[in-house]
Amino acid sequence: MRGVVLAIVFGVSLSAYDTSHLKKAIEEKECIGCDLRGANLSKMDFSGGDFHGSDLSKADLRESVFELADFNDCNLRDANAQGAVFWKASLERSDLRGLRAQGANFKGTHLNQSDLSRADIRDAKVWKADFTDAILNKTDFRGSEIGGSKFIRNDLRTAKMKNTLLWETHFRDVIMSKTQCIHAKKEEAILDTNVTCR
Amino acid sequence: MMKFLLLVGIMVLNLAAHTIQNDEQFKNAVAGMGKENKLVLMIYTTDDCPECAYMKQKVFHDKSVEGYMRQHFVVIDKNIHKSKLPDGFDYFGIPTMFFVDRAGNKKETIIGSKRPQPFLAELRRIRAIK
Repeated sequence: MRGVVLAIVFGVSLSAYDTSHLKKAIEEKECIGCDLRGANLSKMDFSGGDFHGSDLSKADLRESVFELADFNDCNLRDANAQGAVFWKASLERSDLRGLRAQGANFKGTHLNQSDLSRADIRDAKVWKADFTDAILNKTDFRGSEIGGSKFIRNDLRTAKMKNTLLWETHFRDVIMSKTQCIHAKKEEAILDTNVTCR
Repeated sequence: MMKFLLLVGIMVLNLAAHTIQNDEQFKNAVAGMGKENKLVLMIYTTDDCPECAYMKQKVFHDKSVEGYMRQHFVVIDKNIHKSKLPDGFDYFGIPTMFFVDRAGNKKETIIGSKRPQPFLAELRRIRAIK
């Protein structure tokens, strides 16, 4: 019984955010290095907000607007960002593993050096995004529009890219599966130097 | 006297307002239609918008779309950074496509790009709007 109670308390403490941080985030659109684990930030406008260095793991960001927001060096692991708008936001060096962002808008976002392993980016608008040095292990891009984006120094072999729109998407120094390469060429992607198809 | 000046001022402002009806590109588009019952497709773009380029270079010229477009639509391209935009045609994202009848009435708005087949379906739906 004690074990169960401890497990519950421990579980709650793992996902609990700092209420003062949540208040600051909502009121000021700025919360740097904050504890927002599991916080509800859904259906709000945080355009131009600054959250860099914050822990937003398992946070609810559904349908919120984060245009031009700063999420650099953040933890967004397993956060729910379905239908959210990250237009021209910066999400560099961030932990985006397991991020649920189906139908979200990532147009013009910077995702350099971030880990998007197992992230769900299906049916999203991802035009002109920058994935330089991002980890894309089993990232699900199916049905997304990734035209004009940049993939530099990525291993894409396990990424799911069926039905993605890749018009003028740049690939450089990347490893892709043969199926992905065929799809990319058919979509008129630009396969620059050192693209390995295997 | 004051009332008269105010009225004149309002009239001048009204004349200066940039409506779609007095937009040069729109007037030329309507003139080019002759008696044909076409719609104007006015697309808002920018130079650094790959999504806009995709629509203009790829989708509009797709073999399944191009013929239908030529038959039923006249395209006006407005770069939002270079063109004066008509009043009442605000945008929330680029590209935005407005569908306008020859009288200047907005019939539909599409925001963002679409693949050729869904876009063609949208064109057919918009054509059918009374």
